[in-house]
Amino acid sequence: MRFTSALAATALLASSGAALADNLEKLSNFQQTGVTDFTYVEQDGPYADGVRAILDNIEMPPGFEIELYAIVPDARHMAVGPQGLVTFVGTRKTKVWAVTDRNKDRVADEVKDFAPSLQMAIPNGPCFSPDGFLYIAEQNRVLVFPAAEFFYESPDVAAFNVAAQGTLIPVEEESYNHTARVCDIGPDDKIYISLGQPFNVAPPEKMDLYKETGIGGIVRMNRDGSGKEVFAYGVRNSVGQDFHPVTGELWWTDNQVDGMGDDIPPGELNVSTEAGQHFGHPWYGGGQVRTAEYKGDTPPEGIVHPAVETVAHAADLGMMFYTGDMFPTKYKNAIFSAQHGSWNRTEAIGARVMVTFIDEEGNATMEPFAEGWNQNGEYLGRPVDVAQLKDGSILVSDDQAGAIYRISYAAAE
Amino acid sequence: MRRLSKAFALALAGLTLGGGSALAADVTEGRSIAGAKCRVCHGADGVAAIPVAPHIGGEPAAYLAAQIRAFRSGEREHEMMNVVAKELSDDAIDAVTLYYAALEPKAVQAFAKPGAAAPEDCSGCHGENGISVVEDAPNLAGENEIYIMTQIKAFRTGQRSHEVMTEIAETYTDAELYPAAAWYASFRYSTAAPK
Repeated sequence: MRFTSALAATALLASSGAALADNLEKLSNFQQTGVTDFTYVEQDGPYADGVRAILDNIEMPPGFEIELYAIVPDARHMAVGPQGLVTFVGTRKTKVWAVTDRNKDRVADEVKDFAPSLQMAIPNGPCFSPDGFLYIAEQNRVLVFPAAEFFYESPDVAAFNVAAQGTLIPVEEESYNHTARVCDIGPDDKIYISLGQPFNVAPPEKMDLYKETGIGGIVRMNRDGSGKEVFAYGVRNSVGQDFHPVTGELWWTDNQVDGMGDDIPPGELNVSTEAGQHFGHPWYGGGQVRTAEYKGDTPPEGIVHPAVETVAHAADLGMMFYTGDMFPTKYKNAIFSAQHGSWNRTEAIGARVMVTFIDEEGNATMEPFAEGWNQNGEYLGRPVDVAQLKDGSILVSDDQAGAIYRISYAAAE
Repeated sequence: MRRLSKAFALALAGLTLGGGSALAADVTEGRSIAGAKCRVCHGADGVAAIPVAPHIGGEPAAYLAAQIRAFRSGEREHEMMNVVAKELSDDAIDAVTLYYAALEPKAVQAFAKPGAAAPEDCSGCHGENGISVVEDAPNLAGENEIYIMTQIKAFRTGQRSHEVMTEIAETYTDAELYPAAAWYASFRYSTAAPK
């Protein structure tokens, strides 16, 4: 059993959509909702033992070690609190999990659901501002939780709309696939949110709407939700981003077109050097490979091609720049990213953690960092996102195993 | 010939109704196709590994085959399934649906919500425990709320069409249907090899 506690009060609330909408209003007014029970996830037992055994297969450069940090069902993108006490973990279902390491032994002590009175839809993308505001990007809403790291112990936390339900994208454009959002607060103090488009190749009749709304792009807005604008165009489905700690430029991964063959088109790691750039979808299926659907068309001028063409279909997802002091210095300002693993390639590829080094001229090269979840095409886990703890170790989420791993480094004596 | 399980018999019936050749379809062949084309998302045992994909193990063959054919023709749209279905011949569809349909589904309520009850308007076809009781309805046990609500919306907007489901989606609001989705989501779904 992975779920332990029962849900009492939530059930009654779940019976009415109106009551659930009211809960956000109550939390916005610092009122109580009456929801008092959390769902806790069991951290020990045979399931956790099984996940630990999988980690024996993982190979990394010398000196690195990987351990089970927490059992977190459906674990997707992560946001580590500025105080380092709690890590919030999104899912593609209805929950956000709060993962606490109270005794600081670098293994989570407690995993429970966050803000259980709120009905969430695909709350995949949590992100923190440096001053401790937690943002959660859902399918079609963005919420902010001030000082979430201090208030999350209570089921009722102050919560406010950044983008109210149904205003991030037009409601009729909602889909389940390609709507796992990620967010980040930029050096300009705006929130940047990826908006995947739901098609394999975006059709012509959607292009005007997408250009206007930022679907198939990345949008940014002020932290109160005002001033929304499209930041990047021509994106297929980006599910990972971070700002370079020195240049302040936004780097992001993008998943590319399926059905063109095992080895094309490449996946992408991109860098936005300014607002308003176009990254090629749907004219390009990935890298320089043109899509069959738009073969005869002339692409817009000034298309920006990826900084790194990654191996085809590996599904590059979450990423972060490493700024810690624990790892050897060559990893400083390098990118750690997760490849979820291919779903439709003859020979499965991916399900690993990658590292990307950027040289002084800005040239980026990506190589495998942690491998072993892909055992001859059988996935023992599927990494989704990478985040950094205060001590400079990194966390890796896995939505297949429903787990978070911690990778640490100790130099040989 | 060994005794056929209920699911296996239903699968054969579904194939016959669908016009495919039951003799040509073979469970071993179906398992091999499942391993190559379906497993990463839907699981080799038909228990989905990602929330976007439904559990398909132990579902009626007729329902499964109809959906794959709809994805293949483009009548039903999904960016991944349209790509996969395009590569499947009629024989391959018969074989893979035979394999998945022959699995025995099991649904166990994982967390009972006080006061919650099986949704009356859904149970007649999808079963109180989310195991389908009619040929052209999918199992809903263990599907998450977002998956079910996404399908409801597809019936409402005409992206999917079914004489019963279209009417249900048009009659009720999302707020009214969400508790039914939550009911089915509260089950844990598993499958076993046919006896």
